[in-house]
Amino acid sequence: MAAATTARAAMDRAPAYKVVTQFKPSQHPGMPGPYPGKVVRLHAADSIDETTERVNEAALREMMSRGMCSLTGEKTERDAWGRFFDAKDVVGIKVNCSGAPNIMSTPEIVGRVVANLTALGIAPNNIYIYERFLDQLTSVHYERYVPEGVNILAVETPRGSLLGYDPKTYVEVDFFGEDDTRSNMVRLVTERFTKIINIPNMKDHGAAGVTGCLKNIAYGNFSNVARSHFREKTNTLTFIGTLASTEPLRSKTVLQVMDGLRGVWHGGPFSQDRRFRFYPKQMMFGTDPVAIDHLELDFIEAKRKAEGALSVFDRSMDHINYRRSLDPKVNRYIREPGHIEYAGKLGLGVYDMAQIHVTDIEI
Amino acid sequence: MMLLFLAALLPALSTSDADRSGAVTLAVPRVEYRMNEAAATRSPWIDANGWRILRHPEARYYYDAPSTAAGLAAAEAFAYGANARIHTDAAGAGEFSQMLEFLRRIPERALPPQANIGVIDDGSDETGELMNLLSRRNLLYVIVRAPAPKLDVNVRIGSKEYPKEDAANPAALAQKIRARIGDEKRLLRIYGSEVVIARLLGDRANARVHLLNYSNRKVLGLRVRVLGEYRSQKLFASGDPRAAVADAVVKGGATEFTIPEMGTYAVIDLSQ
Repeated sequence: MAAATTARAAMDRAPAYKVVTQFKPSQHPGMPGPYPGKVVRLHAADSIDETTERVNEAALREMMSRGMCSLTGEKTERDAWGRFFDAKDVVGIKVNCSGAPNIMSTPEIVGRVVANLTALGIAPNNIYIYERFLDQLTSVHYERYVPEGVNILAVETPRGSLLGYDPKTYVEVDFFGEDDTRSNMVRLVTERFTKIINIPNMKDHGAAGVTGCLKNIAYGNFSNVARSHFREKTNTLTFIGTLASTEPLRSKTVLQVMDGLRGVWHGGPFSQDRRFRFYPKQMMFGTDPVAIDHLELDFIEAKRKAEGALSVFDRSMDHINYRRSLDPKVNRYIREPGHIEYAGKLGLGVYDMAQIHVTDIEI
Repeated sequence: MMLLFLAALLPALSTSDADRSGAVTLAVPRVEYRMNEAAATRSPWIDANGWRILRHPEARYYYDAPSTAAGLAAAEAFAYGANARIHTDAAGAGEFSQMLEFLRRIPERALPPQANIGVIDDGSDETGELMNLLSRRNLLYVIVRAPAPKLDVNVRIGSKEYPKEDAANPAALAQKIRARIGDEKRLLRIYGSEVVIARLLGDRANARVHLLNYSNRKVLGLRVRVLGEYRSQKLFASGDPRAAVADAVVKGGATEFTIPEMGTYAVIDLSQ
């Protein structure tokens, strides 16, 4: 209810965004895609060992196979993936490594995704595993899980370089009087990829409330986004959805694979303190990032409540501390979990739980 | 330590042989990365001298600029047309001579300064600090004796519009002036760096953009937007004689281009 009110108000008082792109939406944009409001959620109790964090690849393989088949209605994994991709595609896999090496898009999952793409005839050199920052990406060692030839690239190398971004595709907005008012889209997205797969984690986020499909695809595909936070204020409420709905990102992002083997219930998006890491042992499949993120939001909120942490909806200035703190009863920013509903209002997916159809599968 | 004479070697600068006495000593040009919570932004602190030179263009200037700062000092003096001498160390002598070689390759072009803002300078510290902040935010200004109607905004500290109390927070005052102009009307914008300061010269058909990088790291992918449609963009970049602009867009009354790799100094000549 609180989120609904926040999102409605945000529509009226959103910052003055100027979206500059030469790309038109495709006839059937990837978000929300062919399955709006549909989520396949799988749980496997033995998918990850909580002590060693070792992934059970057999359980993972079954989760992914049944997840994709259930989503598409196809009988075989190959046919399920074939609903989205063919041999001519150039595919970007947007991983999330902001919490690496402790939490990230699980390399075994990324490896299975790549295996399914190559099974369709997509050449390894037409597959890109990408993230914005090199130090985070290289700490994961995805190269150990994928065939030779797959590209593993950090867009912003070194940090601050704009060369990996498209100067002609950007969102311009002045949040706090910053000099540089543009956030440019990753150049690979505009110039190279034909399709994108989004593989986020289930994490608490100090500014956005939670980070999932929307935050990973939005802030992970644009430059100069940290400027959206200052003091206690963050503009994630409206910025995430605005970025995610910018073409061609919206049209090309065709598949959402939520990696919830590990999770972070506090201190996210980072995971320096293992106390706040937990193990949902879940995966979610869909094309609707809003529906998946709503489920994630409820899950993280419930976990925080169980742990005695502040609600992600808490907006009290009494709980704000500008210094980074790992106290679960302290906020760095006034969090904006309403960004998920806001994205729904932009047409990126279904937020209303009554219209979200979840297929739960226990492995 | 060596004493190097920049102006004597460049036709655009004075050939005065006067020594340090009688010259205005300028700050070592550089950038310091530190949080500035009092300001509306978290911009790094830049020690730049352009505003001082614009305030007294006839003065003689003196830099004590060690090492890499010697090259930047030479470029800064050149960009603002200062009569400057640069004192440096052995490492700086090499930097200086490389920069000098680059400056010699830049064709002479006599163009007047372009600005959105007129500053009526009363000589006070407050007005000086405002000009400093305007420079660092790339809010282009010229010093005028009286309000100039052709400019978008005219500022006199102590006026009804800009009372002295405003000057207590020059960053906020610069922001107020920026808002009055409106970003779309700004003659020049910089994207991708907070440590590059620009100067714009031009007439109806031609323009020259000076870009000074105050950090000791290259800026990669700097994007520049200049109001006015210029079909030709010729880049002169220190340290890279083959450099060229990339991703140029000329439309909607503006010209945009990217400088793929910017070292200390770049000059871009624009022509319609």
